[in-house]
Amino acid sequence: MNDESTQQVYADATKAKGDAIIELEGVDKFFGDFQALKDINMAVGRQEVVVVIGPSGSGKSTLIRCINHLETHERGRIVVDGIELSEDIRNIQEVRRETGMVFQSFNLFPHLTVLDNVTLAPRQVRNMAKADAEELAMKQLTRVKIPEQARKYPGQLSGGQQQRVAIARALAMQPKVMLFDEPTSALDPEMIKEVLDVMVELAEGGMTMIVVTHEMSFARAVANRVVFMADGEIVEVGTPEHFFTNPEEDRTKLFLSQIL
Amino acid sequence: MTTPPSPLSTRVPLWRDVRVLRVVGQVLAVAVAFLVLRWLLGNLTSNLDRLNLGLDFGFLSRPTQFQVPYHSTFNPRAPVADMVLVGIKNTFLAGFSGIVIALTVGLMVGVSRLSQNWLVARLATVFVEFFRNIPPLVIIIFFAAAVFTFGPFPNLREAILVSAPGSSSNLVILSNDQWGIPGFAGGSPLFTGLIGLGLILAAAGWLWRTRLNERTGRPHHRLAWFLGILIASVIISYLALGRPVSMSWPAQSENRRLIVGGFALNWGFMSVTAGLGLYTASHVAEIIRGSILAVPKGQNEASTALALSGFQRYRFVVLPQALRIAIPPIINQCLNLVKNTSLGTAVAYAEIAALTQTSIGNGRPALQSLIVMMAVYLMFSLSISLLLNLVNQRFQLVTR
Amino acid sequence: MTATTTPPLVKRLTGIGWVRSNLFPNVWSSILTILLLPVLLYSGYRAGLFLLVNAEWEAVERNLTLFMQGTFPRDQQWRLVAQLPLFALALGAGLGTASSSAQDRAIEAGLPHERTSPIGIVRRFWSVIGFVLVLLYFASTANPWFVVLGSVLAFLLGFQIRGLPARFRLYGWSLMSLLLVAGFQVVSGTTGRAWLVTAIVVGIGAWTLTGSERIVPGWRTWALKTGAVIVTSVLVFLLYSVITDPGVGWDKWSGLHLTLWVSALAIILSFPFGLIMALARRSGLPALRLLATTYIELIRGVPLIALLFMGQYVALFFLPAGSSLSSISRAIAVFTLFTAAYVAEIVRGGLQSLPPGQTEAGQALGLTPPSVIRLIVLPQALRAVIPAMVGQFISLFKDTSLLSILAIFEFFNVRSLVHGQPDFRVVAHAETLVFVAVGYWAVAFAMSRESQRLEGRLRVGAA
Repeated sequence: MNDESTQQVYADATKAKGDAIIELEGVDKFFGDFQALKDINMAVGRQEVVVVIGPSGSGKSTLIRCINHLETHERGRIVVDGIELSEDIRNIQEVRRETGMVFQSFNLFPHLTVLDNVTLAPRQVRNMAKADAEELAMKQLTRVKIPEQARKYPGQLSGGQQQRVAIARALAMQPKVMLFDEPTSALDPEMIKEVLDVMVELAEGGMTMIVVTHEMSFARAVANRVVFMADGEIVEVGTPEHFFTNPEEDRTKLFLSQIL
Repeated sequence: MTTPPSPLSTRVPLWRDVRVLRVVGQVLAVAVAFLVLRWLLGNLTSNLDRLNLGLDFGFLSRPTQFQVPYHSTFNPRAPVADMVLVGIKNTFLAGFSGIVIALTVGLMVGVSRLSQNWLVARLATVFVEFFRNIPPLVIIIFFAAAVFTFGPFPNLREAILVSAPGSSSNLVILSNDQWGIPGFAGGSPLFTGLIGLGLILAAAGWLWRTRLNERTGRPHHRLAWFLGILIASVIISYLALGRPVSMSWPAQSENRRLIVGGFALNWGFMSVTAGLGLYTASHVAEIIRGSILAVPKGQNEASTALALSGFQRYRFVVLPQALRIAIPPIINQCLNLVKNTSLGTAVAYAEIAALTQTSIGNGRPALQSLIVMMAVYLMFSLSISLLLNLVNQRFQLVTR
Repeated sequence: MTATTTPPLVKRLTGIGWVRSNLFPNVWSSILTILLLPVLLYSGYRAGLFLLVNAEWEAVERNLTLFMQGTFPRDQQWRLVAQLPLFALALGAGLGTASSSAQDRAIEAGLPHERTSPIGIVRRFWSVIGFVLVLLYFASTANPWFVVLGSVLAFLLGFQIRGLPARFRLYGWSLMSLLLVAGFQVVSGTTGRAWLVTAIVVGIGAWTLTGSERIVPGWRTWALKTGAVIVTSVLVFLLYSVITDPGVGWDKWSGLHLTLWVSALAIILSFPFGLIMALARRSGLPALRLLATTYIELIRGVPLIALLFMGQYVALFFLPAGSSLSSISRAIAVFTLFTAAYVAEIVRGGLQSLPPGQTEAGQALGLTPPSVIRLIVLPQALRAVIPAMVGQFISLFKDTSLLSILAIFEFFNVRSLVHGQPDFRVVAHAETLVFVAVGYWAVAFAMSRESQRLEGRLRVGAA
């Protein structure tokens, strides 16, 4: 990976949107003998939207799962909002409070209503009173445009609705960073738009977002930077325009030719 | 940014370190378990000392000093270890026979439950719902009482003798505590070894025909070949060794108190086998019905679309998939059956649990006898579990 | 010109049509029917002849009390008479609370929901109701009729809790638990450690009920909750110091009464133990996994009789010298330890069936591992294994018959008492056997039907 390029882009990010809220330095991650992440160096600035793309098996999901410690990195430093991710339980919990994650398979809790899904974490983790939590939850559900489904169970909703509930659930914790792990990959085509619209609104509202996705339309619309990963390493980083019109590396060109 | 990755820049306090907590958690659990065990064993040793008892297994080499019912060849002066072997043998016999009954009856009833014939399906359902919901002990006692104790058969002295027409030896002897059936007399280790060899040859023949079929497509007829080789090897060894085995017909002994010759089946064995066989059959039937229903409906449709007949559909598509699903729980039921043979204590069948109870009653050390008994059952359980694992691995549907 | 339309031919199979397609669809089937039908009719005839005409039910009639309550002291029988309606009340309250909260949630979510009707309950539990009627038929006095009637009324009364507004319903569960404990202690007495059991139940109730939703959880709420628990425990202790009723301890219980109680106690006591074992076996800590696996595999590898023998012959060796445990206490302990291993395996299956994304979502939200288990994993896993748990309870109920081998007079072994009487030494063995078998069958059949029904509902219901 081109060190100067990262430095330059990082410098751009720092200049453009404020200081870094997430820093990854020399991060390595192994699954047994297989190395999933190789010397990852990346920084994300506040209110920045970073889209991570790459072929399957490239480590992009592993990358963002390391950021909220769903996977543990073996080497390197990960710092989120000034808190370093280590074996310290308190740090891990704090980082998870400040980050929200939206999963490919939604992972809503089927035994709770939509409203209970959204109020669970604020009440248990931030110790909010039930009434306050429900008020906050309804605000988030309105933000994702499905307040009327509050009393239903996840099983009664469509895929697009469920994913929007999942976004509301993450937002209810008022995180500083939102992590998206292929949020639309499990959706039927007609429902992808409603979820992407919500994500675009979030980005325009100034949320710091790291999104792993295949939806290039989203990247072109709101991404500040696009990161291309392959075989566990960051191959190329650039603005969307640079990326889609003038990719530098061969691997990038190959990948783009397959999906565009 | 390009500095080499550094180890943690801040020291993590021990009481919040995830790794430390994991270790501490385990150490605590082990410590608690250790303390509990130490307390139990401490009490044990002090109580044993107080009562002047030992924890040795020497009792295994001392004479049994009681007669094992229906085992006229068992010498009460034989060491306890021999008695244990008798118990193991009887547990195995009852378990094996019970499993054979359970699998045959269970398969028939299970398939019958899905029959088109309303009467057959209903009767099968009644069978399953009846035997499943009654304690196996009650079923065993029922057999014992209805067929033997209060049944239609007379005392052994006036037993019913059923002989083949035209011969003087008995085919079957029926009384209210023993039945005699024909058996084999003679036989030598060489003969048994040759039969074993025949089995191996037959298995090799099976594999050979399967490979042949895969290579050339010719019908394998492997079952016919298997049986043919087996039967041929039995006949050849039988003739070559000069008829080492002969039929042994059951007869009443001189004092008409025993059955000599043939196989003598005592009432305990028959009650346990029949009772457990039918009880487990009801569970097996349920499993088989469930597994056939679990095969996706689309399989039936695809088979019909391929012009397979009903029988072919069952044989090649439905049953193979159903059996894959059914085999693990069925093996589990077989394990339960072997464990349930311990109910032989209620009908004086000399399997290991009954013999243990008798020997404790006769003054053998209780703890050691029970340890031996549990070891026997653990041995059976482990073997069957290993078999289960082997079967699971072999039969797993290959998925991506 | 309009075409005349004739209504479609509705081919409903009745009479001859039904017989033809269901009994004689093809050659093989017809042969089977022809063979089986006479056999069936003849057996039915003989069975009916035996049951209704020839059998001497006197052995059962004269010893009905023995079968039901064994050798329970006759002058204390009022305790059993009081226990039954208390349980019926508890059952009604529990069922009412459960069905009404389920109904409310379904209504809010806009899901279809069926009301639990008395007719439905009678239809589902026909075997138990039938058996109770048989018992009443055999009863020689009018007392059992009053007891049964009283219990039915108590059940209906408890069921009325359904009508109460939602905020009272939390008290429904507490009420049910208290009634169950009261029913137990009305027989076993209030001396000894009885107060502790009540204190625990009341304490759990006090803990969950104090601290309203308006108060923000914090150290103040914890203090309030702890205070409530302490206060209620002290009150219970004082109450039990005043009411000293020696009661009839479970050492003296026998008959169907003992059978039902051993099953109920074993399943209740084994549940927390089994739950912990299941979590330990699935935890990431190897030491815990090893301990749990060893326990579970050891217990599951040996028959229940072996463990009962251990309890009977050697349990006392492992306790300090001079301690004594009645044979029934030891039996209950063995059943609990035995069932715990099987419950652990059942719960482990439930835990394994949960998609790993559920725990990840909980962790990503910042929930602590205990909270993830409590709020996300367990509610789903336990709901998924309810049918298997009911199956285990049925097995346990049937396995209590093994106590007969230890010469404990549970329901099955009362027969030996009956046939020890001079009048019934050699007669009526079949009758008592049939009676006992029907008793077991009635309860086990009803429970297995319920479990099948629950399984169907859980699969089809909303998430």
